[in-house]
Amino acid sequence: MKGLTACGDRLRQAHGLPALLDAACDAFEVILTVIGTYEDATSTGMAITFLLVATRAANARDAVLFAPSLPPRALHPRQAGQQPERGSAPDIRAAVADLSQLLASQLARTATTLAAGPDKAACHDAGRYARQIHDLLARSAP
Amino acid sequence: MTHRATFGDILHAAHQSLAHRRGEPPPTRGDVEEVSRSLLQVITILSRYAQDTATAFSDVPHHTPALLSPWGRGRAQAREALTHAAGFLLRPGTGRPVWPGPRSASPLARRLDEMAACLAAGRDLLHTHFAPGPHGGRAHRSEWALTITSERVNRALLAELGALAQPIAHYGANVALAPVPGTPPGADQRRALNAACQWLWVLAASIEAASRQEPVPAADRQLLAAIPVHALPARPALAAADTVPSLCDAVITTAERLRYLAWQSARQPPWAPALTATSLRQAAETSTLTSHHCALLAATLAEPTASGAFPGARADLDAAARAARTARGTWYQSARALRQITTDTRGHITPAAAEARDLAWWTGRLAYADPAWTLASGPRCAPRPPQHLAPQPDDVPQVVAAVHQATDALALLADTEYGQLHGAIQAGRIMVPTRTLTDDYDIPHPYAPAPEERTGALLARYRDATQASRQATAPIGRAAHATGAPSRVLTTAQEATQTVGPASPAGGLGDHDSNRGQDRAEDMTGPLQRTLLGLGVTSAALLARGASLDQASQQLLIDAADQLPPAHNRPHTTTLNKTAASASLFNHALASGHPQAAQLLRQPCQTQRAGPEPELEPEP
Repeated sequence: MKGLTACGDRLRQAHGLPALLDAACDAFEVILTVIGTYEDATSTGMAITFLLVATRAANARDAVLFAPSLPPRALHPRQAGQQPERGSAPDIRAAVADLSQLLASQLARTATTLAAGPDKAACHDAGRYARQIHDLLARSAP
Repeated sequence: MTHRATFGDILHAAHQSLAHRRGEPPPTRGDVEEVSRSLLQVITILSRYAQDTATAFSDVPHHTPALLSPWGRGRAQAREALTHAAGFLLRPGTGRPVWPGPRSASPLARRLDEMAACLAAGRDLLHTHFAPGPHGGRAHRSEWALTITSERVNRALLAELGALAQPIAHYGANVALAPVPGTPPGADQRRALNAACQWLWVLAASIEAASRQEPVPAADRQLLAAIPVHALPARPALAAADTVPSLCDAVITTAERLRYLAWQSARQPPWAPALTATSLRQAAETSTLTSHHCALLAATLAEPTASGAFPGARADLDAAARAARTARGTWYQSARALRQITTDTRGHITPAAAEARDLAWWTGRLAYADPAWTLASGPRCAPRPPQHLAPQPDDVPQVVAAVHQATDALALLADTEYGQLHGAIQAGRIMVPTRTLTDDYDIPHPYAPAPEERTGALLARYRDATQASRQATAPIGRAAHATGAPSRVLTTAQEATQTVGPASPAGGLGDHDSNRGQDRAEDMTGPLQRTLLGLGVTSAALLARGASLDQASQQLLIDAADQLPPAHNRPHTTTLNKTAASASLFNHALASGHPQAAQLLRQPCQTQRAGPEPELEPEP
């Protein structure tokens, strides 16, 4: 769960719009990676929930990707040879739910501070998708 | 149900045009001039139909049989007969009809006008599936276009034309040979009208001869009748869908809407801004869900409590559930591959992707027990038990139809989504987030054109989804046949567009529609028997003798036609109709439907209407 935790830390520590967008973009990518690791090994029901989550994560990442204030290069390049996340499916589900809740709140809060424009729209859209991810995972909890 | 008008609705109305109606005069009387004018309209439209079956869609590759095959010959003879029939009715000034045409007053003319309007509307309906294409050709506007141009549907259409021609000829000839006292004699017109009707009998006989050699399966006629107008059905209303039958209707309507919209999407250029990763993902995600729901429904139907009345369908339903699960897996992998890419535009959702979501929603409502189920409820709900899904055996076909329609719509969607994706790749519209690329790439931009290994993998996943979705239609199609589900026309349509050469009757010889001649008994009253009836004779013995003499004279003429020497310069058609009595005899022979009788009219060198026509001689 280290990757998800690290994403949460970066989001909390992000100062300024470019850093927040960069952290959010990476966070959604990490969610996609984590889900990709687990979806093959889980039940059909959970796999479909993961599918819905991943679609929203990809849409959210795309929303951030086209924000003008996103730095052209990642501020924290991926490190080669990173270990895949470890944990049970319920643990992963809970960790992704927490991260998506944080993403939703951070992005929504940032959106309120921005003037109307593509950055605001990106934060708003990505925050909305993050909220949907959280709701999906919360509803699928046993 | 979608309540879209079908060709069958219009065809039925055309057949009913000449039926007896309470409170209306029978279509047995009419002014010769009016009837001739109205009949010409009908014949003109019939000719256009016949032309459509032969050449109108020549840009569309379809398998036209050789001229010497039964249907090739039948089609050619039908067109020839219609040309001759029209030739007898065309008079100076009739070539360019005035619009709006004068309103007919006589009963038969009015009925023929009705029929002409129905037939024109039916042809228009078929043509809604085509649009002007490049280089003067025709473009397909729906998946029905291929069905309409298929040989099997063309044969069914010709069979319908033949069935329509018989009563027209019967009533038209009656008017021609029964002048109304006090009206102008109009000998030429009556003779011409009768000759036109005789050619309609030839048309019917030609098609019937082809039908006898290669019967038109009932399924092909049903397929022709099921062709809907090319229009987007209305979106089902949530408020009205609270029972299994209403949910099935909603699934079927949404599947039809999806097919319509998927076809429309496929015609969009690759640079259309509505094609986005968001849209592609939604279509793939919701198609995964729909496949999952179809698998659940098919598995539930396969349980003995649901399919007890259809034991023959159980294996197919089991196979359908397995095939839907396979399709679900391939759609899932497509959705997964789509996470790795994005597009140069985003946010837009194509109408097809929006409808795919609706289909997942409706199939979910049908599959799960929770009446308040939504997409957000997810897949961990209890499925609807078999005794609730199909409590009565009569309920099974409609649920099978819903699953079949949904599966078929996904097969088309997979195909069109693949095509759109392929076009977008060619247009360089597929991008990737650069932070997901390996360190070998050094791109100072958040996104960049997708490398070939990603687009290639994506297309491969879509190819799998297309193949699996198509394969999933086969077992549920068989289940539709086994349960008599209305959706079985989808399978017939698929077969019709794949069949080369003569179609094999699906259910053996007994399956072909033998109903066409069921109303012939009335038509077969011969001239002698009619005369006896006209005299008020009611004696069964006398009428039977009259009938047998009529039959003998009919056979005599047919035999005579068979023995005409090939080079014999046969008399002109109008000469054959010289007297009302001889015209009656010829009409009776032609109405038998015997193909040999047509030889009485055909000439080695057809030069109809050459020279002045002989005057009608008075009855002796």
